[in-house]
Amino acid sequence: MVDPANTPLGRMLLEEITPVVMVLRTPLVEEACLKNGLTLVQMLKPFCVFNNIDVPVRTASDQPYRLQKFGLRLFYELDIRQPNLEVAKERLKQVINQAADKDLSELCSDLPQIDNALSISESEVLPSWFQFFNKELVHSVSFSDHEAFDHPVACLVVVSSKDDQPINRFVDLFNTKKLPSLLTNGAMDPKILKHYLLVHDKQDGPLEKATKILTEMRSTFGSDCQLLCINSSQDGVVEHQDYPWVLYKFEDLPSQPLRCFLNVEDFNEIKDLMQDLSTKHIIPYMEQKIRLLNQQVAATRKGFRNQIKNLWWRKGKDDVVDSPSGPTYTFNSIESQIRVLGDYAFMLRDYELALSNYRLISTDYKLDKAWKRYAGVQEMMGLAYFMSDQSRKDAEYCMENAFTTYLKVAPSSQQNATRCGLWWVEMLKARHQYKEAATVYFRVCTEEPLYSAVMLEQASYCYLLSRPPMLHKYGFHLVLSGDRYKKSDQVKHAIRTYRGAMSVYTGTTWSHIKDHVHFHIGQWYALLGLYDLAANHVMEVLACGHQSKKTQELFLRDFLQIVQKTGKTFEVSELQLPEINISSLRVIFEDHRTYASSAAASVKERIWVSLEEEMIPNLSTARTNWLELQSKLIPKKYKESNVCVAGEAVRVDIELKNPLQIPLPLSSVSLLCELSAVSDEMKSDASSSLVEIQDGESTSLIHRDVNFESSLFSLSDVDFSLAGGEKIVVQLTVTPRVEGILQIVGVKWKLSGSVVGFHKFDTNPMKKISRNRIQKAKHPHCDNLKFVVVKSVPKLEGVIHPLPKRAYTGDLRHLVLELKNKSEFAVKNLKMKISHPRFLNLGKRESLNLEFPACLEKKSSDQSAEHANLNDVSHALFLFPEDTIIHGETPLLWPLWFRAAVPGNISLYITIYYEMSDISSTMRFRTLRMHYNLQVLPSLDVSFLISPCPSRLQEFLVRMDVVNKTSSESFQIHQLSSVGNQWEISLLQPLIRGKSSTSEDEKSSHPRLQGTHLRLGTQGNNGPCFDIASSPLADFHLSERLYQEVLNKGDTNPVDFILISRPLKNDINPEVSEPPRLFSHHACHCSTATTSPISWLVDGPRTLYHNFSASFCEINLSMTICNTSHHVDYKSIPVESVSPFIWSGSSSTRVHLDPMSRTEIPLQVCVFSPGTYDLSSYVLHWNLLLSNDQENRDRSSSGTCQGYPYYLTVLQSD
Amino acid sequence: MIVCVAVVGHQNNPLYIQSFTDADDSLKLRHIVHCSLDVVDERVNNPKKSGPTLNETFLGLLYPTENYKVYGYLTNTKVKFILVTTDLDVKDADVRNFFRRFHAAYVDAISNPFHEPGKKITSKTFAERVSTIVKSFGMSSTR
Repeated sequence: MVDPANTPLGRMLLEEITPVVMVLRTPLVEEACLKNGLTLVQMLKPFCVFNNIDVPVRTASDQPYRLQKFGLRLFYELDIRQPNLEVAKERLKQVINQAADKDLSELCSDLPQIDNALSISESEVLPSWFQFFNKELVHSVSFSDHEAFDHPVACLVVVSSKDDQPINRFVDLFNTKKLPSLLTNGAMDPKILKHYLLVHDKQDGPLEKATKILTEMRSTFGSDCQLLCINSSQDGVVEHQDYPWVLYKFEDLPSQPLRCFLNVEDFNEIKDLMQDLSTKHIIPYMEQKIRLLNQQVAATRKGFRNQIKNLWWRKGKDDVVDSPSGPTYTFNSIESQIRVLGDYAFMLRDYELALSNYRLISTDYKLDKAWKRYAGVQEMMGLAYFMSDQSRKDAEYCMENAFTTYLKVAPSSQQNATRCGLWWVEMLKARHQYKEAATVYFRVCTEEPLYSAVMLEQASYCYLLSRPPMLHKYGFHLVLSGDRYKKSDQVKHAIRTYRGAMSVYTGTTWSHIKDHVHFHIGQWYALLGLYDLAANHVMEVLACGHQSKKTQELFLRDFLQIVQKTGKTFEVSELQLPEINISSLRVIFEDHRTYASSAAASVKERIWVSLEEEMIPNLSTARTNWLELQSKLIPKKYKESNVCVAGEAVRVDIELKNPLQIPLPLSSVSLLCELSAVSDEMKSDASSSLVEIQDGESTSLIHRDVNFESSLFSLSDVDFSLAGGEKIVVQLTVTPRVEGILQIVGVKWKLSGSVVGFHKFDTNPMKKISRNRIQKAKHPHCDNLKFVVVKSVPKLEGVIHPLPKRAYTGDLRHLVLELKNKSEFAVKNLKMKISHPRFLNLGKRESLNLEFPACLEKKSSDQSAEHANLNDVSHALFLFPEDTIIHGETPLLWPLWFRAAVPGNISLYITIYYEMSDISSTMRFRTLRMHYNLQVLPSLDVSFLISPCPSRLQEFLVRMDVVNKTSSESFQIHQLSSVGNQWEISLLQPLIRGKSSTSEDEKSSHPRLQGTHLRLGTQGNNGPCFDIASSPLADFHLSERLYQEVLNKGDTNPVDFILISRPLKNDINPEVSEPPRLFSHHACHCSTATTSPISWLVDGPRTLYHNFSASFCEINLSMTICNTSHHVDYKSIPVESVSPFIWSGSSSTRVHLDPMSRTEIPLQVCVFSPGTYDLSSYVLHWNLLLSNDQENRDRSSSGTCQGYPYYLTVLQSD
Repeated sequence: MIVCVAVVGHQNNPLYIQSFTDADDSLKLRHIVHCSLDVVDERVNNPKKSGPTLNETFLGLLYPTENYKVYGYLTNTKVKFILVTTDLDVKDADVRNFFRRFHAAYVDAISNPFHEPGKKITSKTFAERVSTIVKSFGMSSTR
C-alpha cells in the first residue's frame, strides 16, 4: 500500500485543502505586477507550495511533529465567494471544447485496437483533460459556508509604495464593503490574521521611500509588516531558463514569453516572503487557534457529563426548522468552532484530531437535521480516514453516506455530491478498486448530459482498467457516454467514445450493436464534414440483412447522401451490396469447342468428350499441333492458360445476391479485365508488350469511354435492379480484339448510380480449389482466369428449327438444321454426331423441300433404290458430303427427321465437327456443340399379342391393344404395317380386332424393309398408305429395332409392326391450322414363338357316317409336326388311348425332326358307337437335342404338350 | 414482466435474442445483455465466490440497473442464458424455474439435427416455446 499522501487523491487533497489567504491590494500594486504580465496572485502563486518546509507543529497533543509539505492558496477578496453556477458551467464547457479540438487529428486515424487499449498504462488510457475537468468541477463548489477549509485563514494586505498615504490605504483596504460575504454574514470569524505587505517597484524610484513607509507601518500595525521589492532587473527584459510560472497552467496566461523584469533576487525575495508568511505567521496562528478551540470544545463537549447535557439540550430543540440547509450556525456557535477545529487540524495533517472532532460534530448535525453540513462532515471524515490510512470500510461508508445525503438534501447540493463522488472515486482508484469506482462514476451522472458524458467515459475507462478488464461494460459505457456527448453537441467527443467502443465490438457477432455504432460514427463524421470517413463507416452497415426494412432504407439513404456530399465518384473495394457469390463463378469460353447455346455450354464436358470420341481425329495430336503453334506466339509460362479466340466473347456467369429487403438499382455491371497485347513483331520473345489495364481507377474509366473503339477489348454492361432478397446470375462478357494475354480480374458495378463497387476475383489457392471443383469437370485445363487470345478463326453457328419443346410419343417431324459461318474463311470436312439416333436422324439433302407428310406416302411405282442403306444407321456419325463447304453469307440448310421415341425428358446432344480450310490458322478444327432438352409425353400405348392359330399351321392371330394415354388428344389410327417380306398381315374380319395370317417364305439373305400394309380406320377418311420402307420411317425403325433387340432377344421368328396414326382434327380450335402430323409406333421383335419349340396340326375328317352295326369305325388322321426352333430336335410322340375310342395303330411314335422341318405322322382312331369325340387325349413329349456349343438357357431342354381339342362327330349311317 | 431473453454462446456470440416489449428498445436491451456478460465471466472465473454452488447453473442476479434486473444462467457447455425483467421483486425460485424450462427448450432446439452448433437459433418452434414460457413467468410472478 502506497502512502495515501502520494496517491492522486492524496496529492489532490494536499493541494486543495490548504489554508486560504485572502489578498487585498491597491490598483497600483496590480499595475506594478502587470508589467511582467502577471497579476499579484499569479506572481506569488509559484512560491506558495513548499515541498520541504520542515516546520515543527504542535497541535492539541503535547507531542510536536514536523510538517514537510505545505501550501497556501491565495485568492483576491472578490474571488472568495461561491462561484456563479453559470460561469462555472461555461468554464467546464470550454475545457471540453478545447479537449475536443486537440483530439481532432486522432479522430481521423485508424480505429483503436482493444489489445492496445489493454496493454497501455492508466495514464495513457485516460485523456489528460479529465483531471483538469475534475479539478474544475471540484472548484465549482468552493467557498461554501458549511465548510471551514475554504475560509480564509489569513489576510494579506498589499499596498504599493507609490500610493498616497500608504498607511491609510492599508486601513481602507480592510474596511471596505468589498469583503467577502463569508466574513460579513457571520459564517466565519471576521477577526483573522492580517499581514501587511508593502510592494516597491524598483523602476519607480529608490528604496529609501519604501523603507521609510515600512518603518511607519511597523509603528502603526506592529511587527506583521514586510517590504517586497520587485522589478529589480535594470536592463529590461530578462529571459529565465527555469521560469517558475510555466509549471502553473493559468488558463488566462498569455502564451508568449513574458517581458519579465523580475530577476533572481526578486524570486528569492518573494520566496522568502511566502515561506516567512507560512512558517512564522500562518502555521503558528493555526496551532494557536487549534489549541484554543480544543480547550473550548473539551470544556463544553468532552466528557460524559457534557455529552448527556448536549443530548438533552438537542432533544429539546424539537421545533427545529426542517429546512434543507438546516439551522444556521454562526462562527461562534460551538458547532462551527468544532468544524473549524477539525478543518484546521486536517490542514495541519493532524488527522486523528480532525477525525475525532468530525465525529463529534457529525452526530450533532444529524440530530439537528442539518443535512448539508452533516454530509460535508461525513465527506471530511472519509477523507481523514483515507489520509490516515485507517479503516477502508469506514472511509467508504462515510463517502457513500456523504454522497447520498448530499443527493437527498436538495438539487442545490448536486455539485457537492459530484465533488464528493469524485473524491470517492479517487479513493477507490487509489486502492485499485476500479470496478467500484466505475459504479460511483455512474452514480455521479446527473441530468446535465455533458457532465454525465464525461463521467460515463471515465467510468468506462475504469472498467477497462479493472483486472480482469470488463470489456463489455467498457463498450457499453462508452456508447452511453457518446450518446450524451452527442446530446450536448460535442460531436468530436462522441466520435472518440464511439470509436473506443468499436474496438470492443469489432470481431463479435453482435451485429445490431455494431451497426448502431458504425452508423452513428458515420453520421457524426458527416456532421463534421469528413465525408470520406463517414462513408467508410456507414458502408460497414450496408449489408444489414438482419435489420428491419425501415432501418435498411435509412442506412442506404444516408450512405448515398454522404457519398453524394463527398462530391466525387466513390469507389469501394469489396462493397457489400450486392453480395457476390464467388463460388458461383463460372467462366465459359470457346477454344476449339464452341457452343451453340448457353445450355450447351453448361453440359458436362465428359458427355461431349464421349460423344466426340470417334469424330475428332486424335485429341492429343491435335492438341500438340496447336500448342506447337501457340508456343511460337506466346511465352512458355502461359501454356497452362486457357485459349480463347480474338473477337469471340468470354462469358462469366456470377451470382449476385441482394441481402436486403429493399430493391437495389445496379447499373454498369461489367468485368474488370487486363489484356496485354502481343504485337506481331514481338512474337518471338514477347518481352515487351502493350498492356492495357482497366481497373477501378477513374482515369482509366475515362480512357475507356473516350477511345472505346480502339480499346483492346470490349466489355458488356448490364443494368438491372435487384429486388429484396433476390439472387440473379448475371452473364458478363469480355471480347478481346487482339491477340495477347487476357486476364479477368474482377467485377465492377455501380450502386444507385453513385457508388462504384468492385470485387476482385481472388486467385489465392484456397479460392481456386472451390472454383476448380466446379470447373474441373467442365474444363479440365481451366485453372485460372487467364486466357491466351489467339488469332480469329472461323466459327460455325448452328440452329435447328423448329425443334419442339414437347411432343407426344411417336411424333414424327421434319426439321431443318441451319449452319452459318460468319467469317470469310470457309470450313470443310463436316461431320455430325447425334447422341440419340432414335430421336433425331439426318435426312437426305433432296428431301429438304419436300412436303411433309406427303413425301412419305407410298408411291405406286416402288423404287427399290430409295431404300435406306441399313448398314450406316447403327452408329450415328454422319459425314456430310465432301463438297459441303460453308462460307460467307450462305447458310447450309440440311433436313433432319425427328421422332419422339419414348416418353420422358430427353437431352439431345449434337456435335458438328468441322475443319478450317485455311491451313495457317492456329486451330485446325473446331466443334460445334448443340444441346436441346425436350419433354416427350406418352400418347398411344401399343401392344401386340401373338398366338398361334389353332386351325392352321404357320398362321398366327395378332391382337393389337391400343391405349390412349393422353388426356386431351385424340388419335386416328391410320395404318398398321408388318415389316419384312416374311410376313403378311391381313384383317381377320372387318372388325377392330385384326387377324394376321402370315405365311413363311423362304428367307431372304438381305433383309429389306418391305412389308404388307393394312389400312385401318374409318372408311371415309382414307388416305394413301405411308411407305415404311422409305428413308425416315425405315431409319427410325432400324434404330428401334436395334434398341428393342436388346430387350427381347433370341426369338426365332420375330415380327415387327409399325402403327401409324394421325391426330384427330381438333374440334375445339378448328381455326388453328396445324401442319399435318404423323405418329409412328414401332413394335419390334414381337415373338411368334410359344413355349414349346414345336407346333402340330391334326388333320382329318370332322364328320362322317358309319354303319356301326356292321363294324366299328376306323378313321385315319394325320398329324403334321413342325419344328420351329433352330435347333436339332428329337421328339417322341407317345399317344395314349382312352375310352370310348381307341387309338389304333402304333400307340407311340418317335420322330426325329431337323430344324425348321416338318413331318407327317399317320394316326388312326377306332370308334365303336356314334357320337362326338374329343380327340385331345394325346400327349406330345419333346426333347431338345442340344448341339455342341449352343446352350439355350431360356428354354427347357424337354417338355410335354397336351393335345389340342379335335372334335370328331360320327353318325350312324343307314 | 420479462422484457428480454437471450442465449449467448460460449464465445460470447449471440445465438438468440428476443425482446418482449412493444417499445422500440431492442438495441438498448441488446446492450444490456451484452454488458451483463462481464458479470457472467466474472462469476465463472471466480470459483471462490461460488464455492458451495460449484455445479450450480443458476448465476442469480447479475446486474441491477435502474429499471431492469438481469439474471443469468450457465449451461455445462458454457452457453449463457440471460433474462432481463422489469419486475423489481422477483423470487429466485421463479427465475430458477424459468431457466429450467428455458434450458429444456434450448436443448430440444439444438438437438435438431439440422441445427448447426454455434450458429443462431432460427427455429420457430423454439421461439414459440420461449414466448409461452415467458408469458407463464409473468403469470406466476403476479400470483
